[in-house]
Amino acid sequence: MEHRWGMVIDEDRCTGCEACVAACHAENNIATVGDDQAARGRAMHWIRVERYYEGNFPDIKVKFRPVPCQECSDAPCEPVCPTYASYHNPEGLNAQIYNRCIGTRYCANACPYLVRFFNFLNPVWDKPLNLQFNPDVSVRSVGIMEKCTFCIQRIKTAEIKAQAEKRPLKEGEFNPACVQSCPAEAMVFGDLNDPKSKVSRLSRSSRATKLLPELGTHPKVTYLKRDTWDNGQNA
Amino acid sequence: MDKTPEQINQDLLRPLYHASWRFYVALVILGSLVAAAFFAWGYQIYNGIGVSGLDRPVFWAFYITNFVFWIGISHAGTLISAILRVSNATWRRPVTRCAEAITVFALSISAMFPLIHLGRPWLFFWLIPYPSERGIWPQFRSPLLWDFFAINTYLIGSVTFLLLPSFPDFALIRDRASGWRKKVYGIASLGWRGTPKQWHRLEMAMRIMAVAIIPVAVSVHTIVSWDFAMAPVPGWHSTIFGPYFVAGAIFSGIAALIIAMAMLRKLLHLEEYLKPIHFDYLGKLLLVMSLLWFYFVFAERLTTWYGNFPSEMAVFWVTQSGRFSKLFWTMIFCNFIIPVPILAIKNLRTKIGWTVVASIPVIVGMWLERFLIIVPSLSHKYLPYNFGTYRPSWVEITITIGTFAGMALLYLLFSRVFPIISIWELKLGLQKKVEAAPALASQEPATEQP
Amino acid sequence: MESIKGNEMNAIYGLYPDPDSAQRALNVLERAQGELGFQDRDIAVLSGEPYEEYGFGHRDHKTRMPWIAALGGVVGGLSGWWFVSFTQKSYPLISGGMHLVTKWSDGIITYELTMLGAILTTLFTLLILARIPDWSGRKLYDPAISNGKILIGVTNPPEKARGELGKRLLAAGAETVKEYAR
Repeated sequence: MEHRWGMVIDEDRCTGCEACVAACHAENNIATVGDDQAARGRAMHWIRVERYYEGNFPDIKVKFRPVPCQECSDAPCEPVCPTYASYHNPEGLNAQIYNRCIGTRYCANACPYLVRFFNFLNPVWDKPLNLQFNPDVSVRSVGIMEKCTFCIQRIKTAEIKAQAEKRPLKEGEFNPACVQSCPAEAMVFGDLNDPKSKVSRLSRSSRATKLLPELGTHPKVTYLKRDTWDNGQNA
Repeated sequence: MDKTPEQINQDLLRPLYHASWRFYVALVILGSLVAAAFFAWGYQIYNGIGVSGLDRPVFWAFYITNFVFWIGISHAGTLISAILRVSNATWRRPVTRCAEAITVFALSISAMFPLIHLGRPWLFFWLIPYPSERGIWPQFRSPLLWDFFAINTYLIGSVTFLLLPSFPDFALIRDRASGWRKKVYGIASLGWRGTPKQWHRLEMAMRIMAVAIIPVAVSVHTIVSWDFAMAPVPGWHSTIFGPYFVAGAIFSGIAALIIAMAMLRKLLHLEEYLKPIHFDYLGKLLLVMSLLWFYFVFAERLTTWYGNFPSEMAVFWVTQSGRFSKLFWTMIFCNFIIPVPILAIKNLRTKIGWTVVASIPVIVGMWLERFLIIVPSLSHKYLPYNFGTYRPSWVEITITIGTFAGMALLYLLFSRVFPIISIWELKLGLQKKVEAAPALASQEPATEQP
Repeated sequence: MESIKGNEMNAIYGLYPDPDSAQRALNVLERAQGELGFQDRDIAVLSGEPYEEYGFGHRDHKTRMPWIAALGGVVGGLSGWWFVSFTQKSYPLISGGMHLVTKWSDGIITYELTMLGAILTTLFTLLILARIPDWSGRKLYDPAISNGKILIGVTNPPEKARGELGKRLLAAGAETVKEYAR
């Protein structure tokens, strides 16, 4: 049975520490863009932690929501790419093939979650970060779109190892960098096609919601949060 | 107009032989602006799209605005040449070549913008469906591929439409010229002789082309509008975009044609050929298109406002009364409030100066309309945490100005190589006027007094 | 009568200042065919504009061009449809939850290629039927046509008929009668 990778993020556990963001940068060779470019809105955080304030002082509540690529089943970013750089791979991931990308940026416009990032300039790593590259992940040059891949390099490594050892993949054998680094264990990753996996069970919980469900994108990232007065419809 | 064929030949071929100092000054100025634009583009290719003002979430802005704008302008030629040919409107004769030239150049300019806005423009050829060594074809489900096919078909069609009626005029020039001109125009005329068979085949081909190019033009701008409508972006995903854009394109095309014709009339002394009646008729068309444009805008905004979807209302308010409101109301002013009164009053519309005064704001307004469709929607998508802003950089501004200069430059050079009015068609019109019944003759602009 | 020697073409023709006299000349030539020994296809008519209201402008006007253009469109459309179906199936890549071969988007490409087929077919049909480009200069031509004159004449006339033809062309109202002789 094919795998169908999904993720569950528990907003009630997230502390907003952004360890996932840092881990993602390190794992996927994402450059920091510098103050100027970040102020221009060109920061490249494949997973970002959105911060919302509710209420007025002194009753302010702060809500955190980590948003990686939602790996939609009916992804609007896929059919608009003229070169198939963005397509649906057999394991349900929205794959981004860097070599095919010519940078039309249509996929970024079509993505309602804005989880796609463009290399406006050639990425630069200040020393000593240039010694920290992950050899399993290609470095993207200027003009290419990139986004969260659920750490496909880790998925592939684990699958190849399991195949070599002639055994099925075990649950929890590997995780994307963000899931691995979360101190509050707010993120869970696994195979949605396995009804017994933690991610399948949690995605059926009573606290489960999805982002922008009315758009029909069928994202594979499920958010868990306590029912609020508006049933979790607004952030 | 009681001109002999020889006089007509002389008047309309004069620009090919003589150029005033004004031509050379214009050449230098426009050439520098175009060179500056190429420099800016080269700078952008070298350093990356980051030198422009684009950011996340506004991934498309000036370049796509220009792309859509120039395709819109290119609908001038199609409307005038093709629709007026098909409907047998005889007043079109002096106007067809100017209009067809606008189409070809505007289309060529707009076809550069998909290259300019690419992140890796040196790989643009991957959009062409060819059996590549990578074993992969482009994605035909993408509206950008539809663009590729549509624009190429329209470009080939427009160039054909411009060239077909030019062969007899090239033959005319070949016959009267000597030296290098005789050689060049001799080759360009393809050995045209003027047998009845050739004339008949040519006119049949033009009739077929006129009928064929109208649906192509409609499809081109519809497909360009679907670059936006196919994406789930608030304010973009609207079914009205196809007809809305086509109407807007014809609108801006007629305005551009009026301006081009007025300038040609002045600079090339074509007062006896491009008469106030032509501007009167084009002005009436412009009035109709302005009203039609306003109807589409009103229908779209009313539906949005009444529906009250939060994501769409964010875009609605930011254009109506928020950050983009100055541009929005300028657009309404330029596209509707100025042109409609001027063009509705017959006394004003029959004066060429006033139709030009009505047309120039339309060009500005239609450019703003494209901008206001793209940028406010992209700045305000579904998740408010990701709202953004946009400010153009010198690269985008230079390139934009460069394309306007480029259009003027191409047109200037065109008028020195092609006779700007189709000579044989004009003579044909006069011939028919002389032989035809008085009812038909009264349609001919040459008989009306300015 | 002017005589231009040393040219490959062999013809005698008159230049007429207006379409009425040109029509008269054509009538004269059509009546004189059998008598003077030349055929209908040797009659040459050249003008700087089309003259549809006159008989001389209506020679060779039957054509199937619209049908050929329509056929070109159909060929373009069918090849377009085949092309998108074949290529999308040859390297199947799913996107957006859509089918691999979608009727909507493939229909658009098919439509554009239909129109392109019709346009290109029209262009090439014109070039072939009008027999252009032809830069050889071997066909009969006179630059006076560009000044509004209409050329009516006979190519390859029988030698003994030249004089008579010249007289009749002049009598029909020609401004000048010229001939090309070997």
